[in-house]
Amino acid sequence: MNPEFNYIAPLNLNSALKILSASKSRAKILAGGTDIIPGFHIGSKRFSSTELLIDIKRIRGLDTIKEYKNFVEIGACVTFSQLSESEIIRKYFPLLAKAAETIGSVQIRNRATVVGNFVNNAPCADSVPPLLVYDAKIQIQSLNRKREISLQKFLIKSYTTALKKNEIVTKILIPKPEPELKGDFYKLGRRRAVAISRISLAVLMKTKNSLIEEIRIASGAVTPIGTRLYELEKFARGKAANSDTFKELSIQLGKKVLEITGLRWSSEYKLPVLQQTFYQLLEKVSRDEI
Amino acid sequence: MKEKFNVVGKPVIREDGKAKVTGQAKFADDYKFPNMIFGVMVRTKATHAIIKKIDYSEIENDKHIITIVDAKDIKGLKKTGLIRKDQPVFAFEKIVTPGDVVAMLLGEDEDKLRLLAKKVKVELEELPVLNDPEKALNEDSPLIHPEFGSNLIVHHPLRKGDIEKGFAESDFILEQTYTTPHIEHAYLEPECVIAIPLGEKGIHIIGSIQNPFTARRIVAEVINYPLNKVKIEQAELGGSFGGKDDLMCILSARAAVAALKTNRPVKIRYTREESILESYKRHPYRMHYKVGYTKDGKIKAMKIDILADGGAYCSMTPFVTWRSVVQATGPYEIENVWTDVRGVYTNNPYTGAMRGFGSPQIIFAQESLMDDIAVHLGITPDEIRRINGYRQGSITASGQRLENHEVNLLKVLDTACNETNFREKWIENEKHHNRRIPTIEFKENILKRNLILSKNEFINPDDIIKKGIGLAVSFRGSSLGAEGIDAAASYLSIQNDGSAYLLCGLAENGQGMRTAYAIIVSEILGIPVENIYYLEMTTAHIPDSGPTVASRSTIMGGGAVKNSAEILRKRFEDFLKDYWKLNENDLIVFENNEVYVKGKENLKLSFPEFANLAYKNGICLSSIGWYPGPKIHWEEETGHGSAYFTYVYGCQVAEVRVNIITGEVYVDRVTAVHDPGKVINLLGALGQVYGGVTQGVGYAIFEELDKHNGLPRELNFDQYIIPTSKDVGEIIPIFVEGKDEFGPWGAKSLGEPTLELTAAAINNAIRNAVGERYFNLPVNLEEVLLKRKLRPEDLKRGSL
Repeated sequence: MNPEFNYIAPLNLNSALKILSASKSRAKILAGGTDIIPGFHIGSKRFSSTELLIDIKRIRGLDTIKEYKNFVEIGACVTFSQLSESEIIRKYFPLLAKAAETIGSVQIRNRATVVGNFVNNAPCADSVPPLLVYDAKIQIQSLNRKREISLQKFLIKSYTTALKKNEIVTKILIPKPEPELKGDFYKLGRRRAVAISRISLAVLMKTKNSLIEEIRIASGAVTPIGTRLYELEKFARGKAANSDTFKELSIQLGKKVLEITGLRWSSEYKLPVLQQTFYQLLEKVSRDEI
Repeated sequence: MKEKFNVVGKPVIREDGKAKVTGQAKFADDYKFPNMIFGVMVRTKATHAIIKKIDYSEIENDKHIITIVDAKDIKGLKKTGLIRKDQPVFAFEKIVTPGDVVAMLLGEDEDKLRLLAKKVKVELEELPVLNDPEKALNEDSPLIHPEFGSNLIVHHPLRKGDIEKGFAESDFILEQTYTTPHIEHAYLEPECVIAIPLGEKGIHIIGSIQNPFTARRIVAEVINYPLNKVKIEQAELGGSFGGKDDLMCILSARAAVAALKTNRPVKIRYTREESILESYKRHPYRMHYKVGYTKDGKIKAMKIDILADGGAYCSMTPFVTWRSVVQATGPYEIENVWTDVRGVYTNNPYTGAMRGFGSPQIIFAQESLMDDIAVHLGITPDEIRRINGYRQGSITASGQRLENHEVNLLKVLDTACNETNFREKWIENEKHHNRRIPTIEFKENILKRNLILSKNEFINPDDIIKKGIGLAVSFRGSSLGAEGIDAAASYLSIQNDGSAYLLCGLAENGQGMRTAYAIIVSEILGIPVENIYYLEMTTAHIPDSGPTVASRSTIMGGGAVKNSAEILRKRFEDFLKDYWKLNENDLIVFENNEVYVKGKENLKLSFPEFANLAYKNGICLSSIGWYPGPKIHWEEETGHGSAYFTYVYGCQVAEVRVNIITGEVYVDRVTAVHDPGKVINLLGALGQVYGGVTQGVGYAIFEELDKHNGLPRELNFDQYIIPTSKDVGEIIPIFVEGKDEFGPWGAKSLGEPTLELTAAAINNAIRNAVGERYFNLPVNLEEVLLKRKLRPEDLKRGSL
C-alpha cells in the first residue's frame, strides 16, 4: 500500500537539490521507481516512511550517455534499455550492456535506471559487478558541493550507500578500458527472464605470453553486496592463464565467499555452483581471447 | 458421420480477441456503479485457533467505516461448500488456515480500510498446527473440523483381480514414491466481484466468476433468497484454470451480504498477495507405487497408495482424488490393481480444482516409473508402452471396456515418436552418462561435505550440457464422469435479417468456447461466424448447465449448441419443403450465408432473405438445445464402473538440455500429440496446447508454493516462479482426430490433457540426459543437483 507522500518533479537539478536540502529526512529520490513502488507495495520499512518523492526524470541532461576522449558518462536517468541499445556502451563496456539486457523484463528495463540499481544496492544488483570491473566512479551533488567517489567506496553494505540525505547521484563516469582487456558477465537466475540473480560474476582479463597480466573480478548476489575481489586478482596476476590456474582461482573464490557469508541455507547449492560457473567463465574468457 | 466441413476445423480468430488486446473488454474491476463502496477483509495471524472474541472497538467509530460485516450478518447458511459444507463465509468458530477471513470492513476509501483492518482485535486460543498430511490420520493429531470426527475427507479404493497373485507372477518388483507440491493457478486477473442490491428484484452480482450457476446456489443459500432473485453475471474473465470457483462463490456471498446490509453496490477486489493467500491450490500428492512386471515387460500388478493434502477445507478434494483413482494406473491394461487414494484435512491452504484435476500428479509418477521399468529391462520407453498400452476393447482398472470410441493411445504414441525421431535420439543420449552430476551424492549432511571443490571436481566446459528426450502418454475421461449430473443447454435466436444471438449455459473462461460454439452454428446453418453475437452470460437467461470444468465445454456445451442449431435446421427444412414444394429426396443446403436446393439453382435464397421469409410465415426462429451425457455408473466400495462415457488420448515428447553444473533445465522442444476428437477451431486448439504445455513446464521445473506454518511463502510472482516465453522453446501441436459418437461430430476434450503430460515427459527427458531419476516436483535447480529442496528458515526478506 502506498504511504501518503508529496510528489514533486523539478525541471532542473538545482531546484531538485534545493528541495532536497530544504526537506527533512523523509525525502526520496525517484527515478525509474522500480524499487520504490514495489517497496511501497510490500510495506518495506526503507520506503514506508517516505513523505516526499522527488522525481528527477524530467530534469534535462540526466538521461544521456556521453562519450569523451578517455571516459564515458552515464546520466542518473539513463535506463537499462538505453544502456543495452547504446553503441558506445556496447563498444567499450560489453559486460555492462550484457548485464543490462538480462535485467527484469522489457517493461522494467524501460523504466529502471542504472544509477537507481546501485543506489538501492541490493545484493543482486546486476549492473554492479560490471561497473566495478570497469572501475566506475560516480559523481554526487548537493546544493553546495560536487564530489566524485569510486563505486566500490560508495557501496557500504546491502541497501546502504555513502549517499547523504541532501545528495543526488548525478552521473557515472567510466574510464574506457584498454582494448586488450577481454571479459564476460555471467548471471544465474531461477529462470531465463524476469529473474533475480542468484549468482552474478564479471571478469576482465588480459594475458601476455600465456600469463595473466591483468585481471579484474567482481561478484554479485553471492556476496552481501556487489564486490571487487582484489585479493583474488592479486593472487592471479602473473600466473599462467590455464585451466589449473582457473580452477585454483575458482577454489579461492569459493573460500572467500564462504569466509564472507558463512554457511547459509543456500550454501550447499550456491557454493559449488559458484566455483563451477566461475571456472567456466574464466575458461570462456580465455578461449575467446585465443 | 459428416466428413466434409465448411467451418469446423478451420483456424478462426476468437470473437473476443480484438477487444481483449485493445483493452476494450470489460473485466470485473472495470465495472463501477454510483454509490459503490469497497469491502476489505480482516484476517488474523493465526494458522489454527479458536476464535474467542472479535473486538472492533478501535475502529468501529472511524469515519471511514460505513459498516462491518461478519458471520452474525448471515441470514442463511454460515458455512458453504460445493461438496461438504465446511467452509465459513466468515470464520466464527475457528481459524483453520492463514487465509481465513473473520470480517469485512465496508467504506469508500479502500486504502484506509486496509489500514483499519489491521486494528481489529481478534482474541484467539491457539491450537496445535497440522501441516504434514502424513500425520493427519494419526490418533494424536489435532482435528481440523472436529464435527466430522476425522481428518479423512475421502477414501477411494479400487480393487481389481488378485494383487498378491499378480506380484507372485512377476519377475521383478519396482517400488517408488513420488511427491508433487502446492501449485498456484496464477491467473492474470486477481479475484473481483461486485454485488448490486435490486430491492424487491433481489441481487445482481458481476464478477470474475468461473461457474455462475454454482455461485448463484451458494449466494442464495447464504442470503436465504430463492434462486431466481440471485442474478449472477460473468464479466470477461482474466484466466481461471479451475481457480475461480469456490473462492469466487464465497466472495460473491460476502459482497451480497454487505450489499444487502448497506443497500449499496459493494466491490471486493483482491491484491495478488490476498489472492495467493486465500485462494485454493492444486493438491500436493504423495504417491507410493509398487509395480510387478515380467522380464518381457508385461505389467502384472500395480499397488498404489496416494495421499492428497486437502488443506483446510474439503472443496473439490473428493472429485479430484476420484479422477486420480480412475486414472492412477495410466493407460495400461493391468490384471491386478489395488489402489487407495485418500484426501485429508490439514492447516495448509485448501486445495481444489485446477487444470488437470488429479491427473498431472499421477501421470508424473506413473509415467516416470514406466520409463524406469523400460531402462531396467533394456528396452526403449515407447516399447514398454506398446506392450502394455490400451487398445481397442481394452479393460481399464475400473473394469470399463473401451469400445465406443477410437482408442488411439498407440496411434498418438507412434505419431509422436515418428515426428521426433524419438527412439534414435533416446538411445544416443543414453550413451552420454559418462560425466554425472557431481553434487548429488553429498545430500546426507552438509557439514560432512566440504563445499570447496577439489580440482578434479571441475567439469570440462564441453561436458556441462547433457541432452535428453522423454515421453509421457495418458488417457483421460472426458467431462464430469460419475462425479455428477452432466448436461448442458444452449439458446439460439435467428433475427429477421439473418444475424443471430447465441448463448450457452457454460461460461467463457478464456478457453475460446464462444468462438467454438459460433463455428458449430455456422457449420449447421451456414450463418457466417461474424454474424453470430454471443450473449452476455447471466444465470437469468439460460438453463443451469453445470460448471465449466473438466474440459467439458466443447463436448457438452458444443453438443447443446449443435442440438439448438439442428432443431432450427429441421424446422427450416420442413418449412422450405412445403414452401418450395420439394420432393422427399431433395437436399437443402445451408452454407456461406445461403440456403438452396442441391441441383435446383432457381431455388436459392440468401440466409437474410430466408430468415425474413420464415419470420413472415410465422416460423419460430429461436430454439433451446439440450445435451445430456449418457448414463454411467460407479461403485464406490470397489472402484468398479464405467467412470466416464468416453476418453481422449495424448502423448507428449520433451527435448531438454540439462546443465549439470547449475542444475538448469532448458526445455528446447515439446511435441504434443493429442486426440481430442474432432477439432472445432484449429486456432483455439493450438492455443490450448501452447498454454497447457507452458503451464506444464512450470509444473515440471519451476513452480512450488511452499508453506511456513501453513502460510504461503510465495505471495507474489517475484517469488512464485512461472515460466516466461524465454523458458519454453518450440511447441509443436499435432492432432490425431479420433472418431466418437459423443460430442459435436465427435469433438471431445483438449484443455487439460495438454497440461497433464508435460512434467512427466520433461522428467523422463532429464533422466535420459543425466541418468538420474527425480521423484519430487519441481525438478528445480537444487533438486537437479542435490535431489532435495533448500529453503530459508524464515520468511524474512532482505529488501524489507
